[in-house]
Amino acid sequence: MLNKSIVRLAIPVAAGALLLTACGSDDDGGGGGTTYKIAFQGPLSGQNVALGENMENGIELAINEANSSGDFDFTIEYLPADDQGAEGQATAAAQSAIDDQDVMAVVGPAFSGPTFVAAPLYGQAGLATVSSSATNPTITEEGFPTFLRAVPNDNAQGGAMARYLAEQDGVESVMVIDDVTPYGEGLADVAIEELEAAGLQAQRESVPADTVDYGGAARTVTSSGVDALIYAGYYEALAPFATRLAESGFEGIGISGDGSNDDEFINLAGGAAEGWFLTCPCTDASAEDATQDFADRYQEEIGEAPGTYSAESYDVANMIIQTIADLNGDVNRQSVYEALAGGEYEGLTKTFSFTDTGEFENESIFLYQVEEGVRGYVGNIDELIAG
Amino acid sequence: MSHGVTTEKKTPSAARLRKQSWYQQPRYRRLAAMVTTAVVMAQVTGVQGARNDLFYALEENFTGTGIWIWLGIFLAIWAVREFLHGWLRGLLDRVKEMAAPPADGAAGKTPPPAGLPGLVRRAADGSRSLNGLFRTHRGYQLGGMAALLVVLILLPLMVSTFWQQVMVDQIGMFLLIAIGLNVVVGWAGMLDLGFIAFFAIGAYSAAFWTGGLPVEPPVELNNFLVIPVAVVTCLLAGLLLGAPTLRLRGDYLAIVTLGFHEIVYLTAKNWTEFTGGTRGASSDRFSIDLGFWSYEWGLDPAPYYWLQLAFIVGVLFLFLRLEHSRVGRAWTAIREDEVAAASTGVDTVRFKLLAFAIGASTSGIAGVIYASKLGFINSEMFLVLLSVLALSYVVFGGMGSIPGVLLGTAILVWLPEYLRDSVDPQDRYMYLGGLLVVMMIYRPQGLWPSRRRQRELRMSQEGTGAADALGAQPGGAQG
Amino acid sequence: MSLSDSWDVLVLGLVLGSLYAVIAIGYTLVYGVLQLLNFAHSEVFMAGGFGGVIALTIFEPAVDPSGAQSVVYVLLGIAAGAVLGGVIAFGLEKAAYRPLRRRNAPRLVFLITAIGASFFLYNLAGKLFGRYPIAMPTMYENKTVFTVFGTSVSVTQLLIVGTALVMLAAVDVIVNRTKLGSGIRAVAQDPEVAALMGVDIDKVVSRTFVLGGLLGGVAGFLFGTNLQVEYTMGFLPGITAFAAAVLGGIGNVRGAVLGGLLLGVVEAFTVEIWSDAWRYVGAFAVLVLVLMFRPTGLLGERVGRTA
Repeated sequence: MLNKSIVRLAIPVAAGALLLTACGSDDDGGGGGTTYKIAFQGPLSGQNVALGENMENGIELAINEANSSGDFDFTIEYLPADDQGAEGQATAAAQSAIDDQDVMAVVGPAFSGPTFVAAPLYGQAGLATVSSSATNPTITEEGFPTFLRAVPNDNAQGGAMARYLAEQDGVESVMVIDDVTPYGEGLADVAIEELEAAGLQAQRESVPADTVDYGGAARTVTSSGVDALIYAGYYEALAPFATRLAESGFEGIGISGDGSNDDEFINLAGGAAEGWFLTCPCTDASAEDATQDFADRYQEEIGEAPGTYSAESYDVANMIIQTIADLNGDVNRQSVYEALAGGEYEGLTKTFSFTDTGEFENESIFLYQVEEGVRGYVGNIDELIAG
Repeated sequence: MSHGVTTEKKTPSAARLRKQSWYQQPRYRRLAAMVTTAVVMAQVTGVQGARNDLFYALEENFTGTGIWIWLGIFLAIWAVREFLHGWLRGLLDRVKEMAAPPADGAAGKTPPPAGLPGLVRRAADGSRSLNGLFRTHRGYQLGGMAALLVVLILLPLMVSTFWQQVMVDQIGMFLLIAIGLNVVVGWAGMLDLGFIAFFAIGAYSAAFWTGGLPVEPPVELNNFLVIPVAVVTCLLAGLLLGAPTLRLRGDYLAIVTLGFHEIVYLTAKNWTEFTGGTRGASSDRFSIDLGFWSYEWGLDPAPYYWLQLAFIVGVLFLFLRLEHSRVGRAWTAIREDEVAAASTGVDTVRFKLLAFAIGASTSGIAGVIYASKLGFINSEMFLVLLSVLALSYVVFGGMGSIPGVLLGTAILVWLPEYLRDSVDPQDRYMYLGGLLVVMMIYRPQGLWPSRRRQRELRMSQEGTGAADALGAQPGGAQG
Repeated sequence: MSLSDSWDVLVLGLVLGSLYAVIAIGYTLVYGVLQLLNFAHSEVFMAGGFGGVIALTIFEPAVDPSGAQSVVYVLLGIAAGAVLGGVIAFGLEKAAYRPLRRRNAPRLVFLITAIGASFFLYNLAGKLFGRYPIAMPTMYENKTVFTVFGTSVSVTQLLIVGTALVMLAAVDVIVNRTKLGSGIRAVAQDPEVAALMGVDIDKVVSRTFVLGGLLGGVAGFLFGTNLQVEYTMGFLPGITAFAAAVLGGIGNVRGAVLGGLLLGVVEAFTVEIWSDAWRYVGAFAVLVLVLMFRPTGLLGERVGRTA
């Protein structure tokens, strides 16, 4: 009884204090002039929150820099629209961005599945969505009115990996492993097709990203005696997998896509990451001064190193801000979309421009290799093959 | 372990055994509990962790001001409770006494006292008379229901499109699921941790029969025609799962249903030639074509809301009749004591199967609506976690009680959406989890329990019966 | 599949299975005394993984540890995992389950509390330590220790199976030979009579949780060594171990061990014959089949009857 009464007292107090702390935190005033908002639709909670946080941090960094630079006569605000990476939440997330009339463009949706659900809504509202990570090739075939893809789709990367392997001496059989995510499966499908077209022996395996033990998968790879392995998935899963592969004595070529092109892969896998090839539609993320500078600022502002898609989201946010600035006050959703769709923007990671269907125009894929614990730039894959 | 060791070494006298060090006194134990709670709360409301710096958040939270605020709050609570307890208790008692209606039954005749006691008294009187009014007059009941229905029909016109989307895609959807799950768990007393599997089957039926999946259906159907097909499919799936497993007791049934869900989920995920896997498949939207009049549900959420409302009201109407029928009474008997029910001639297997199949088909209807509202489905929409969540919605509201289940589900689905703006979105499910724990500790019967369930719980607290047919009660009498 | 292939797969299965067995004991012990499906046990397991990472990060292992250093780091990790797992389990029982026990709440309420606590704990861990995987600091060079029938066994595999065996033996002794064990068995058989006989039920329950927590924590550390540590790492192994406990006959310690090993082996063979993607289909299909023919699991229920 005594305990009960004390808790009756404690709960309202705790709840009140909670509300107070929650309300007190987001209170930073902006500069002068008009305020526009940039929304981000992506997983800010749920299973894939790490990716969403990477992207959010990149966007917020871009916005903060723009606001404090004093170059613009407007203020940009950030609006998070959390869809948990889940389709069921995508409509509400999209709607929260659409309902806010200050939102001029959306970065995202982060994943392809939610894109299918949300893009029609954005299209209806005339709100531009620029995704830096939804790479399913079929999205742009659906004819969503305002969807722009600021990243080459899976076809480009999967094809490049396969073509590169086909050109290597002594590579006759290749195993393609996907992580049973839309991203991995898309890449793997294209890679298999291209490998077979190039006359190589190709096998396909699926190892879900949440596998509890990579021993079995590593065994499958080594006992099949393939010369090369394409892993279509993210670095979180590739790291333990690469470790198991190294332990089980796999000596073939390992190659993975932009989902694994992250320094965190080396941190997690340690020595096992050595020798892995990584492809990315982005130009050298560590060698160039501009991107190194970005990484430093990111580290300073956010307190951690940039992750997968951080730089891409930073670029997209900056592209939107620049587009708004170039419109010289004639800013509405329609004009922003048209300017984005028709414009060209030189970003940190790549040059952005779009085809009629909103597809990313520049399809160059670059190759990296992990050497002595560092991601080293190898070159443009098409040039490597030709040369 | 330790008392075993001490008894061997030396035989302590009874006095020494009874002697307590100062820190063993309940007062200081409570102090320790309060301090621990404050530290945990400081972590809960603290900063987000950072990559590559494992201790960042811990350091910030222990050195920041937050922890002092929390310590202050909880130490104050502790102090009030320990040192001002008698005074507080006296105050409460006085208010209660003054607020109590006069003993001679002349409630309402004597004017209520002024101040706080008067307020309490008036509120109590008001709710009591309102309650009486509704319970005794069927007309008022119907009137109240009608008014509620009108409000519900007009609701989407009063809220933003964002909330309309939330109401349709999340609240409405989980309401239908919870109503179905309530039949299985709340009425028949079977623990089902795989309920979303049927939801998935319904959704994939919709996609299949409207030609959205990679495989061609024999005939393409309108979404409204898919509903009976999906109901039958889920019914069959429910029977298929139920028939071999229903003789299992509570916990075994729970893990088997969970396994069933996992199998359905993995099939949807990996059988890409049929389901489209994680990359998903499209699904048609609802449309009606009666020749002279046709309508198509598009992107706008409001029409779906009304459609969904119609389905929910229809299902509710059927279920409420079922609850008080022979079937409903049989379920109650099974839930309260399966052996006794069987021995008095209730065909337990048949009625359990019936509950399973009815629940499953409700979930299937929800699946069809969901798929057609989103126009797209993939396997990741049917995670095992959702089944677990659905079960907590039902118990949170008060299982077995339809208004309770509706209310509980609506609140728990609404809460994370509401918290969207006030806390870090990443943390919303942490608060949800905390709320579940606190709620279960202080109101185990749920938000709005059914009267029968309340009685069962009371009996269980007094130790004269089990509150559900999930086997014996948790062991451990009070120490 | 050749014979040597089968050996490879069997070893993989036994390694994973011994982890499942250790986690499953945590479920089974708690079920024995409380008839509670402790859903939050998977978070205890997760806490053990973080315990290992935290301790090893504080002590910063040398770059290429070997010999005595490796042994120290491994022991440190095991201890830290056990301690954090035990502390979380202890706190869980005190804060969430004891109030329910005092009011004799029905079992479904316990289950929902456990679900809520699980949500709370793993999201809190994600908030504090970040929501991305963390690699266990290198403690030793993971080379092949010996080869049996052409199958090489690595240090990690040996470590997992060895630690698991020691812990399983210890639990068996504790449950069957010690005073705490007889308390656990007494409460499992009949809490009311046990209370009448002078068993301090609160203490027994609390210590049962701690015992399960110690085991779960160590399993979390070992699992993290084999894979990596992440705030969501508890969910899948937790569910599988829970299934293992049910498969063996929930409440039955030896049943949990049998169930864990069996599920591990079934999973490994499913992966080999079919694919990694169907891993749990094999495991759960076996579970359903077994329960259809033996509704109370392979060895039957209850801690009390194993003695």
